[in-house]
Amino acid sequence: MTEALRAEWTKLRTLASTGWLLLGAIVLTVGVSAAVAAAVHVTSRTGQDPTKLALTGIYLGQTIPAVLAVLTISEEYGTGMIRTTLTAMPRRFVLLAAKAVNVAGLTFVAGCLAVAGCLLVGRLLLPGAGLDPAHGYALVSISHSSTLRAAVGSVVYLVLVALLSLGVATVVRDTAVSIGVVLAVLYLPPILAQAVSDPLRRHLEQIAPMTAGLAIQATTDLRSLPIAPWAGLGVLAAWAAASLLVGGMLLRLRDA
Amino acid sequence: MSEPIIEVTDLHKRFGSAVALDGMTFTVAPGRVTGFVGPNGAGKSTTIRVILGLDAPDEGTALVCGQPYQHLQRPLNQVGALVDAAALQPSRTGRNHLLWMARSQDMPTSRVDEVIELVGLGSAARRKAGGYSLGMRQRLGIAAALLGDPPVIIMDEPFNGMDPEGIIWMRRLLHSMAVEGRAILVSSHLMSELQDMADHVLVIGRGKVLADASVDELIAHASGDQVLVRTSAASEAAGALQRAGNAARVIDGNTISVSGLEAQHIVEVLSQAQIPFSEVTAQRASLEDVYLQLTSGEAEFRASSDRKAQS
Repeated sequence: MTEALRAEWTKLRTLASTGWLLLGAIVLTVGVSAAVAAAVHVTSRTGQDPTKLALTGIYLGQTIPAVLAVLTISEEYGTGMIRTTLTAMPRRFVLLAAKAVNVAGLTFVAGCLAVAGCLLVGRLLLPGAGLDPAHGYALVSISHSSTLRAAVGSVVYLVLVALLSLGVATVVRDTAVSIGVVLAVLYLPPILAQAVSDPLRRHLEQIAPMTAGLAIQATTDLRSLPIAPWAGLGVLAAWAAASLLVGGMLLRLRDA
Repeated sequence: MSEPIIEVTDLHKRFGSAVALDGMTFTVAPGRVTGFVGPNGAGKSTTIRVILGLDAPDEGTALVCGQPYQHLQRPLNQVGALVDAAALQPSRTGRNHLLWMARSQDMPTSRVDEVIELVGLGSAARRKAGGYSLGMRQRLGIAAALLGDPPVIIMDEPFNGMDPEGIIWMRRLLHSMAVEGRAILVSSHLMSELQDMADHVLVIGRGKVLADASVDELIAHASGDQVLVRTSAASEAAGALQRAGNAARVIDGNTISVSGLEAQHIVEVLSQAQIPFSEVTAQRASLEDVYLQLTSGEAEFRASSDRKAQS
């Protein structure tokens, strides 16, 4: 297993795209959060969640770790390198596990930096938008336990989205189709949820990976959430585990 | 002969309705180059993929060093394979391609640089592999196969895209590795590529082995031990050889064909009978002739069974 981990790490490390994608994920996530924080203007004294606003960038930024995870295996099918990989590492569950650990690790590091950037941007920009103690809102700070949970949870969220994407790509094999499937799994349920009414909408938001997973970002008005924060992250974890399991089984059963 | 190092037993595999392997059975012994030859679609690549654990057979087993490939610990130390030279990510350098492979077997980086020098890729090793010519990719693939210094080398169509110089280099390399005691299995759809290099040949057609013999045996079998004798006294010569108990046939006024007797003995018989002759030539079929004989029979069989299926 150690050897497989080092081999997969060497593969990721020696592609220029890995670094660019991770940098892109950080810039995009923080950039979107900054744009939203700069654009928002609040007059009411309630109803806003500064932490959640500060972390808005995750909505878009998550696509990049997803693409990185997809490429980790779909590029190998696309180029035929999977055959070289499997002759070097014929134990296929071990191979997928090694890919998962590396993708998760890199996403974790990039996620920590992105989330820290988002919180900093929130702290600096949101008071200017009327979200300050004078208007009844606390400054964004991880010394608040709910903000710390939202921050840690957002990093875990990104890691789980990457793992979900890796599993999808292991099943699908083709890069473009895999990215399409991942985007559909993430963004389609929230769009569909807007088209239907309760209780169907609530159920959809409880089981969909993105809406359930992002419940972890809420710090105010938790009762209105479709699902509790940690339970929501658990739903996303179940999606990621299922996708890796199906991917692992198919990787084992199918011809390379 | 030492123990077989690759053992393929009764492999069957279908892709939908197409039969790819139909009872493929053979062994590969160390210390020689075994040619694996057959027309495109005969099942060579599928067999190699099954040996390497990439494809699963419907039935049958393929063992390397007594084990299924998936059970080998650090397999690159036991089997070096060149399956598809394009099987790499073009944006990674050649050296880094070998580096991840070395890491997967816990080999030192110094071994990577050794094989790069061995295949003569030194100056290009730090360039992206996507910019390599097909011949350079083949060399990189060969470097990958040699990385673990394995006792078994399997190469699928290694001559594809190589220039004549590369082909000569490759033949010498494979031959020297066989002399070192390794088992070498080399596939090709062209028998001519294997002539003068393979010691043993497996001729494949329609998913099974048509012939499994040494190169000398194959050629002797196809030639039928024919010797041609040129003589101005053809009928006397034929008579003398027949009296000595051999089948001799007059082909034209001054040529006879003799079977079952070596050229040297023919010379003795004719000299004793004081019959003049100008030339005694052993007829040897080329490996290519043998291959065409074997595989054309297979093509006929295919055509006739197709007709049967239609009627």
